[in-house]
Amino acid sequence: MSEHDPIHYYLKSLSKYLSRLEKTEANEVIREIESHILDALELQQQNGQKEDVDAILSGFGEPRKLANQYVEHLLQGTPPPTGFKAIQTVKKGATKSLYYGMGLFGFAISALLILVGIGKLFYPEYIGVWSAAQGNSVTITFSEHIYPNSDELLGYWLTPIAVGFGGGITWLTRSVLRVLKQNIH
Amino acid sequence: MMTKHENLNEKWDVQLRKGSLELVILAALKNRTLYGLEVLKLLHSFETMKITEGTLYPLLDRLKRDGLVSAVWQQEGETRPRKYYQLTKQGEQKLDIVTKRWRQSVKDVEFLIQNPGPKSIQLKGE
Repeated sequence: MSEHDPIHYYLKSLSKYLSRLEKTEANEVIREIESHILDALELQQQNGQKEDVDAILSGFGEPRKLANQYVEHLLQGTPPPTGFKAIQTVKKGATKSLYYGMGLFGFAISALLILVGIGKLFYPEYIGVWSAAQGNSVTITFSEHIYPNSDELLGYWLTPIAVGFGGGITWLTRSVLRVLKQNIH
Repeated sequence: MMTKHENLNEKWDVQLRKGSLELVILAALKNRTLYGLEVLKLLHSFETMKITEGTLYPLLDRLKRDGLVSAVWQQEGETRPRKYYQLTKQGEQKLDIVTKRWRQSVKDVEFLIQNPGPKSIQLKGE
């Protein structure tokens, strides 16, 4: 099997340069190229030629250059969905923890906003947006005591605005998660 | 002298292939399901399409990512599994569009070659 050593060496080197790809994707590339090399060797045998591994490998070119062609779309980025340019960069390193972290973060914020919006209807005195310190800061409170030296902003408008933003963030989170999910295996 | 000629031919083929290879692959896969080595053998049977493995496989990968071809692993009998490619609906549509452009280009170039100066060509819209 010593004539297959160069193949093993080539594929191992290729695999190293493909490490930017998802593991399953990289494995599929390797598997396909290995299948091609072995088929081509058999073909040489059938045609009564001498097995020439080097000739076949040279058709594929240097492992680094070959790998670059598989990886370059990640570096250049295929056109991102509108409004999600930043995701192109993030999804390269998409992991399960990023996925669940993103989900938790997004849904928690939207749930909180929606709760504030609905809460305002039931406890109008305690929940609200207040302008404090002569308008130098804005604060959202859930307090029995009205924030000192402050004027309430928005009033009941807080309900539709908070629920609207909450819904918007839910939608945004789901869209981001959908993009991330495609990149997790 | 002959080698210089061949060299020129090869340079020309490389230049032309840069733009037309996608069309070539799509056309090769029209109503056919082939694996990489079969595509390569098919193309190598033509004088101007002798591409290398290192060009073919990354291109197939890109066409797949673009949704123009689909690929499935298949194993028949005792043979080793092979990845078979075929056109998707989108790939067929793209092939139709690009084929029309290709034919138009060939027609235009051919017209220019057939109509050398100094006689002026009647331009459209004049």
